[in-house]
Amino acid sequence: MKARLSKLLVVLVVSVILVLATGAVAYAATVDEIAKQLICQCGCNSLLSNCVHGECMVRDTMTTVIAQRLDRGDSAEQIIQFFVAQYGEQVLASPPKQGFNLTAWIAPFAAILAGGAIIYLVLKKWVARGRELETTVAVDSGEGDEEYQRLLEKELKEFAEEGFR
Amino acid sequence: MVEIGYAALFLALIAAVYSVVAFPIGVRRGRSALVESARNSLVAVCGLVSISVIALVYAIVTHNFQVEYVATYTSSDMPLNYLLSALWAGNDGSLLFWAWILSIVAAVIVLHRRDIGKELVPYAASVVMATQAFFLFLLLFVANPFQLLSFVPAEGRGLNPLLENPGMFFHPPFLLAGYVGFTVPFAFAIAALWTRRLGDEWIVAVRRWTLLAWLSLALGNLFGAWWAYVELGWGGYWAWDPVENASFMPWLVATAFLHSIMMQRRRGMLKVWNMVLIILTFTLAILGTFLTRSGVLSSVHTFAESPLLGTLFLSFIGAVLFSSLGLLYYRSEELRGETEMESLLSRESTFLLNNLLLVGATFAILVGTFFPVLSEAVRGVKISVGPPFFNQVNSPIFLALILLAGICTLIGWRRTSATNLVRNFLWPLVGALALAVVLFAVGIREWYALAAFPICGFVLATIFYEWFRGTSARHRMRAENYFKAFWGLITSNRPRYGGYIVHIGIILFAIGVVASSVYNVEKEASLKPGETMTINNYILTYEGMDNYETQSRQVVTATLSVSNSGEPLGRLAPEKYFHRNFDQPVTEVAIRSTLVEDLYVILVGWDADGTTAFKVLVNPLVNWMWLGGIVLVIGGLLAFWPERRKPVAPKTQGGEGR
Repeated sequence: MKARLSKLLVVLVVSVILVLATGAVAYAATVDEIAKQLICQCGCNSLLSNCVHGECMVRDTMTTVIAQRLDRGDSAEQIIQFFVAQYGEQVLASPPKQGFNLTAWIAPFAAILAGGAIIYLVLKKWVARGRELETTVAVDSGEGDEEYQRLLEKELKEFAEEGFR
Repeated sequence: MVEIGYAALFLALIAAVYSVVAFPIGVRRGRSALVESARNSLVAVCGLVSISVIALVYAIVTHNFQVEYVATYTSSDMPLNYLLSALWAGNDGSLLFWAWILSIVAAVIVLHRRDIGKELVPYAASVVMATQAFFLFLLLFVANPFQLLSFVPAEGRGLNPLLENPGMFFHPPFLLAGYVGFTVPFAFAIAALWTRRLGDEWIVAVRRWTLLAWLSLALGNLFGAWWAYVELGWGGYWAWDPVENASFMPWLVATAFLHSIMMQRRRGMLKVWNMVLIILTFTLAILGTFLTRSGVLSSVHTFAESPLLGTLFLSFIGAVLFSSLGLLYYRSEELRGETEMESLLSRESTFLLNNLLLVGATFAILVGTFFPVLSEAVRGVKISVGPPFFNQVNSPIFLALILLAGICTLIGWRRTSATNLVRNFLWPLVGALALAVVLFAVGIREWYALAAFPICGFVLATIFYEWFRGTSARHRMRAENYFKAFWGLITSNRPRYGGYIVHIGIILFAIGVVASSVYNVEKEASLKPGETMTINNYILTYEGMDNYETQSRQVVTATLSVSNSGEPLGRLAPEKYFHRNFDQPVTEVAIRSTLVEDLYVILVGWDADGTTAFKVLVNPLVNWMWLGGIVLVIGGLLAFWPERRKPVAPKTQGGEGR
């Protein structure tokens, strides 16, 4: 069990690293790929690639700039930096993984890890208490089909008598 | 009629406040006449708010444009169904709709004859009426739907054309009913704390209410996603908009609650935690209403930016949190149970992890939603937190959650031995690995898809394996044929098997989400009539443009003929129209939908020389999401459906494990 929980911790840590690492992967340089990383500045608050405002001049200008700069040979990184210089950080679809913004990226996983640690400790305490009271109901969890049948029938019977559990 | 509506709200407020006070005093002092009068007063609130709703609907249907709300959201050329939906199309009307549903719910609570939790009802009714009074106060003094204009406009502005979709008829009411529904379990929880009846009673009394609210919120969100997909025309169904997040968060916490109350019921565990979960659910439900009305975060769903309304909602949320958590703290000694467990390797553990991940996902969404505000406060820099953030952070959490649903099915309550574990896991695991190999062989390389699909397969396998074992056990023991045995199994414990069916719905939904987000293809092209474009195996030939006029719209249609791998599939005609009263042109997408994939065509624009720009997407397995939604509703209803059962008194003071 200990091993299983530590495995879970490893999985969580790895997912944090993966999430953080994906930011370092080189950007695929098409207009659409870049537009997916920017917020349209017309006030619609959607991704530039998703803005559906019919006559959205801002969207058209932004996508034209991306296309022109790609033709000129700019990298995706350069183009995105150009927009950041023009509109500020809010043009980015997600906060860059640095400085204060790291809080947003890390906090959820830190909270889950902390919660996992607490659950582990609490469970250990409960199990220890359960062992002390070992003399109580020693229900064997079904080993064979017959045991499974017995448990299932017990479960369904209890439900019929006492309602949901 | 308008005056009657307003007066009814005023009387309803008085009656609601009377109920809030009279219920607890009547019960405490043992004066049944007072309790009876509080009950009648509560039922009167329901009647009065209903009158108010009828008055507003009457004003809408009779085109009384002197009423500001009617003039702003309707026009005389609107069909009846959209006229009716105007009731919840705007800020004031939606608050009235909220108050109406709440008053109906309150009446059902007090009129419903129940065996369990009778003693809690007066206190719970008092809490519900307090919430009711808050909403009535807002309707009377801050967001009055009966506000009159100083003149009578000749015509109303009409409904925003984006809202003219069947989704509009279903999405808001289901969503609002879900939010409102969570008031019931919250009220019973407070009643339990208040009266110190801290056993299982309140949980038994609220399980079905919670399930119904949860189901309603799920349906509301599904209708919203479907509506966004077919109407908004960007090819997606979920944008992680702050308000979408606000409707998702209480749903996640309520999901955690629905699971963790099983632990309290079976083992007397997690009593404090269950209280915390339901308080959070209710608060988050109100938070959604606050977000749409305060203008704190910009969102596509913003109704009205009213700082006063925002402040009032925030104060209400603060008061709810402070008082309920305070009460919980005050009673926490009495809620402490002597929990003991046999083994770490038990279904109990998986339920705790399930709760951790559900609340963790909620926290991640909460952080992302409010981080722009935090960033501006701390650094003074405006930032955006959009879909890339939410997708990256939530994908691993949800994947782990789904995996857990499978593991949980195979592990027994209390404890599981190693041999048992191996035997139960073997076949589902083999199946999942085989699926992974097959997927790799057919060319799937994206790691997320390679992880997600086998995990989904694993969970499905565990559920079917569990059903198979149960069915064959009954077949052997009762000598029933397999069909009868299966039916008997499902109907003998509907909450349990309904729950499994909900899991299947979630899996189908997840498969649709993963496939359509990892494998969607999009392409833009500018075509002259006669020219073609290709996307995957589809060939689209642009035939030409046409336009026609309706009473309120000027519609432009572009027709394309479509074939897939050489086989003609007919025509698609995406449109764009201009509404008389709205500047923004509206896009009407054309979708050819199958179980395998959707061909999604958007008319982007056109030039004077006849060149027309299209955006075309191929979204795989989107229909699986809607199918998953249907399965989820079936499972939820099965779990919700009342049982015919001889009543047995529950434990009133729980604590000992069973």
